[in-house]
Amino acid sequence: MRLHPFTALTAAACTAVATTAAASWQLSFAVSIISSVLAVRAGVAGRVLSAAAVTVGPLCLSLVVLHGLFFPEGRTVLAEWGPARVTAEGLQFALDLASRTSACVLVLLLFSFTVSVPDLVSALAASRIPPQFGFVLASTLTLLPAIVGSLDRIRQAQEARGLLLRGSLLAHLGALRLQMVPLVQGLIEDAGIRGQALEARGFGAPGPHTSYRHVDDPPGQQIFRALALVLAAAAVALRLLASWPTASL
Amino acid sequence: MTATTRTALRARINEFTYHGGTAAALRDVGLEIEGGSLTAILGGSGSGKSTLGKLLGGWLRAGHSGTLRGSLELGGTRLDFDGSAADPRINPAEWFRRAAFVPQEAAAMLSTVRSSVAEELAFGLENRATPRQEMLRAVDRTAAVTGLSGLLDRDPATLSGGELRRLAVGCAVITEPEVLVLDEPLASLDPAGTAQVTDVIRNLVAGGSAVVVLSQAVDGLALQARQWIVLDDGTATAAGPPGKITESAELEASGVRLPGSAVSALASTSPGPERVLGKGPAILELLGVGFSYPVASRRNGPATANEVQRTNVLRDLDFSLRPGEIVRIVGPNGAGKSTLLRLFNGLLRPSSGDVRVGGNSIARTPVGRVAASVGLLFQHPRDQLFERTALREVCFGLRPLFGPGGATVRALAALDEVGLSNAAQVHPAELSASQQRLLALATVLAREPAVLALDEPTVGLDRHGVERLSHAVKEAAERGAGVVLVTNDAGYGRTAADRNLEFDAGRLREL
Repeated sequence: MRLHPFTALTAAACTAVATTAAASWQLSFAVSIISSVLAVRAGVAGRVLSAAAVTVGPLCLSLVVLHGLFFPEGRTVLAEWGPARVTAEGLQFALDLASRTSACVLVLLLFSFTVSVPDLVSALAASRIPPQFGFVLASTLTLLPAIVGSLDRIRQAQEARGLLLRGSLLAHLGALRLQMVPLVQGLIEDAGIRGQALEARGFGAPGPHTSYRHVDDPPGQQIFRALALVLAAAAVALRLLASWPTASL
Repeated sequence: MTATTRTALRARINEFTYHGGTAAALRDVGLEIEGGSLTAILGGSGSGKSTLGKLLGGWLRAGHSGTLRGSLELGGTRLDFDGSAADPRINPAEWFRRAAFVPQEAAAMLSTVRSSVAEELAFGLENRATPRQEMLRAVDRTAAVTGLSGLLDRDPATLSGGELRRLAVGCAVITEPEVLVLDEPLASLDPAGTAQVTDVIRNLVAGGSAVVVLSQAVDGLALQARQWIVLDDGTATAAGPPGKITESAELEASGVRLPGSAVSALASTSPGPERVLGKGPAILELLGVGFSYPVASRRNGPATANEVQRTNVLRDLDFSLRPGEIVRIVGPNGAGKSTLLRLFNGLLRPSSGDVRVGGNSIARTPVGRVAASVGLLFQHPRDQLFERTALREVCFGLRPLFGPGGATVRALAALDEVGLSNAAQVHPAELSASQQRLLALATVLAREPAVLALDEPTVGLDRHGVERLSHAVKEAAERGAGVVLVTNDAGYGRTAADRNLEFDAGRLREL
């Protein structure tokens, strides 16, 4: 079954919200494992996990250091070095926070690496969201590969003229400066020409736009989205209710 | 279908000056384009062709992009401009619907955010809120006219040069404009791409469209035109049927490349007494070279055998170049010609076999060092230019080879060789496209490499530029350099080369 992009987006967002609201490391771990399995099945595990490692790794490390060693409410001391105390409560708190963050990041990365951008742009257009919004969204995803490709061509041209990409960091920075000039000039020139082309093709025209690409939105998925939103709202409400007496103390 | 004789577009440009420009880019240009006709606007580099094309296609708007004095008449509606604030304003989208412009860089026409050819074609209709059923019919109709019916599901990023050009034309004609203006529609296309685009234009003319092509060469398309207009330094110097213009002094003076002009310009490049063609050891050798691009990661499992096949660009390829020899390599777009040149200096490394320069393998030599022996001119000069002045540009990387004094002397000599002595202190971005290409050539020539590898060197050059290029190639060959020309420009390449090779299934064979 092909998921409508809004269904995937709703599922990812509601899972992230519910996981945060539940504040249970067991649920967080379950969400992380399910996300990873789905990433493997979609063939994007490498990209999702490496992006998650870069994003969440440093954060988890800092949580463990901060709360594992310095948790004022910690009572069960496991080890002690001067002012630093490893407490069971601190480690538990760090684990909760790290697992929750990891689950949210994984589920959102899974969405961003599996969603069909053309489907998403088309669905946005069909929802009467200004097409410029969808264009910016899609451009953001296509700009980086374009810049990388352009930089590679420029580097090749400069190496062919005797630029030696070896030596100190300073030499590399110097080479980077030389690559930036044609890159930025090229991007500005491209933007100018493309702007003229887009304008001529009526992109900036006010009023409604239609979409050539048709994205199926079966009633079952619409019901699922509504239910997911209700459940996520309920999870937040329950969390607030559960925390209320504690918060008022 | 019988061609109509109604006037689709009439323009009288007394003067057009870009905002911030010191001189008029166009002066005294008048033209009248009839429906169902093909018109060729011919001019050398910097003649104002693209400016005129953009004005006719609504990409440059009076008041917005510059000051226009004159009039434009489209489909019976005449707009008069006197350069004042009261001038009429052109709505680019409405104008484009009736008089469309396709730039030379076809990719610039595309939205870049559509995932298939069909969606890219429909982009302009979406913006006009065209109902979906109507869009489906329009896409099918346009695809049939432009020969894209079999490519509708393809990602535009994977199209060849000819296919991309046809898609750009399709994007312009899907709204059925009365006038279509095409800037250098055949530039850098292989023979198959040229034939495809020519067919599309012929179909459009037969269907009643008024097609205007801008070109700096009297090519196959220009020869089919009913009317020629010659532009020189922003002014229309001649206009009329081709028979009347062909032998005119105005056309000769314009710098337009004429059929056979490259031949005369290059007559003296055939091996003369100075050339040491075929003697001495090879300065460049490729021995059993294979090369394949890595298969892109896929979401739906590993690549199929067919896809692996497509990435194997070169197979067991042998090639050698002697001092003083000029070799031309031809092949369809995407055959691996540019890849081959990048193997010469180590920018790409072969997956099998060996590349030797001056008898030594370059397998472990950095590109920057091989560059002292192999000079490579890329297709897009913009990627190569990054300094503040033309002189600094040519001087880049010369000092380690020739010392501070020698570097300047050689740089000035190289600039002189390509006719840019007067532009030594000009910023490269301020040069015309043709001059930028010649400047990039100067940066290669100044190094006096043993091997000169030029990728589509004539694209964007007018006759004067081609003459400079042919002279430089001849000089390089006479001093003993081996020259490899990758070009589908038969007029230039065939005459310049001692040997012609063609890509055939990843290998080179003699033509």
